[in-house]
Amino acid sequence: MTLLRATGLTAGYGPVTVLDGIDIEVNEGEIVVVLGANGAGKTTMMRSISGTIPRQGIIEFEGRSIQKATTDSIVRGGIVQVPQGRGTFPELSVADNLLAGAFVRRDGTKAIEDDIAKWYSLFPRLGERAMQRAGSLSGGEQQMLAIARALMSRPKLLLCDEPSMGLAPLITRELFKVIERLNRDEGLSVLLVEQNANLAMRIASRVYLLETGVIVASGSAAELSADDSIRKAYLGF
Amino acid sequence: MELFLQRLVDGFSEGSVYALIALGLVIIYRGTGHLNFAQGEMALFSTYVVYQFGEWGIPIGIAVIMGMGVGFALGAVTEVAIVRPVSKKSPFAVFIVTIGLFQLLNWLDGAIWGGQQLPNTGVGSKQVRFPSLFPSKPTDFVTIFGANIKIQSLGVIALVAVLTVVLFTVFNHTRLGLAMRAVAANGESAKLVGIRTGRVLMASWGLAAAIGALGGVVFAGINTNVNLGLMFTVFIYASAAATLGGFDSPGGAVIGGFSIGLIQNMAAGYAPKWVGQEMKVGVAFLVMLGVLLFRPSGLFGSSRVERV
Repeated sequence: MTLLRATGLTAGYGPVTVLDGIDIEVNEGEIVVVLGANGAGKTTMMRSISGTIPRQGIIEFEGRSIQKATTDSIVRGGIVQVPQGRGTFPELSVADNLLAGAFVRRDGTKAIEDDIAKWYSLFPRLGERAMQRAGSLSGGEQQMLAIARALMSRPKLLLCDEPSMGLAPLITRELFKVIERLNRDEGLSVLLVEQNANLAMRIASRVYLLETGVIVASGSAAELSADDSIRKAYLGF
Repeated sequence: MELFLQRLVDGFSEGSVYALIALGLVIIYRGTGHLNFAQGEMALFSTYVVYQFGEWGIPIGIAVIMGMGVGFALGAVTEVAIVRPVSKKSPFAVFIVTIGLFQLLNWLDGAIWGGQQLPNTGVGSKQVRFPSLFPSKPTDFVTIFGANIKIQSLGVIALVAVLTVVLFTVFNHTRLGLAMRAVAANGESAKLVGIRTGRVLMASWGLAAAIGALGGVVFAGINTNVNLGLMFTVFIYASAAATLGGFDSPGGAVIGGFSIGLIQNMAAGYAPKWVGQEMKVGVAFLVMLGVLLFRPSGLFGSSRVERV
């Protein structure tokens, strides 16, 4: 079943069009990876889906249009974005970061605390640092916190904006394992944008290539890596 | 000893007014990164409104609560109608706009309540008597260790202490408080977890102005009258308090406010020839200068060091 469908999605900043009418789909249970270089429009695409910037085109989530929806109702509806560069609340404790992640929920303190405990067991480092300021965590820990915070809203679709940015290769690998596990065990659908093609393609159900605001290719990871020019440009071999 | 105690209590009660105005400055600064130059004048406007309610025969206690409501509305409307549109164009312009608001509100106060208009000096402006929230007849004092302490001073300190506790409970244990702290820490991320940041900022400005309104009323009560220049020096002291405590620390604002009140009263009391009543503002200025030179983030402010 199609979870998210964007058709002719266009967005930009002031007079500059960054995203020029892209079509993209995420089916339930998929990890969809969008590869693109700096300035290709990856973050703009994420923002336009989250509704933090004005956008044109058709965006449907579970068959309903969210083109005019505000960010808070989009989060409530089940799409949550992990911002680029982690974007935790550095002055807040780890526990308060997670609590803020559950801001849109109305199902009571008990259920929220159960979820916090659950993510502490998946990310033990966060549990150990529950009362520490988020800003004092390492880069990898902050990225884990940003993901756990997003999960606190109980999303159906997780948007990850370049999670590998600024992280050591080993930590990036661990991170992608976590994302894969969440997809498998929790049935979480994921839309992930990356520059790090090698790792991202390994967990991808399907891949899109985004170049200067336009989708130039799409298909399974195997299909795309079979294409010589794509392999050279994105995988470097 | 008696003199010391009196100065201590006077310092605390004046300091509590600075603490309230400084709290307003800090709440707004944390939310939007703006220095609200009109914080004192917004408080003064609400104080005049409370005076007007009093003239209409409304008991002072109720008038104060209504005045804080008016202050909240004034702050909220300012954020939505003025600050937000301007800051989209240029964040720096907001500072200029708040200076304009400072002028506008003072002029408005003068036009409605002030009699003659001498904006920005307060000199010659008509003074109207302002009731105190607490018993303030010359005979209303208690004797502690031989010192005659005004009941009004104790009342003011207690009131501000209670308000501070309430505010900190709101900050740390409510949804609004969590939202305010999240917006202060990272506006974009706050939006992404589903916080309606616009509403939070509106509420922050409203809250800051409502707290300021209480500060204005308390100070007018201590001063026994309200005039157009009432909040000028208070605003300077409050800025010094926020600078001392750290511009992003509400706790720092309160401690900074009490400290400035104490330092100023002690300096004026013990060094009357050097400082005296006229040079009290100079003390605030020295404190600001010292803090900015040696500890720019203030005593409790964060210097925003983080690992990446």
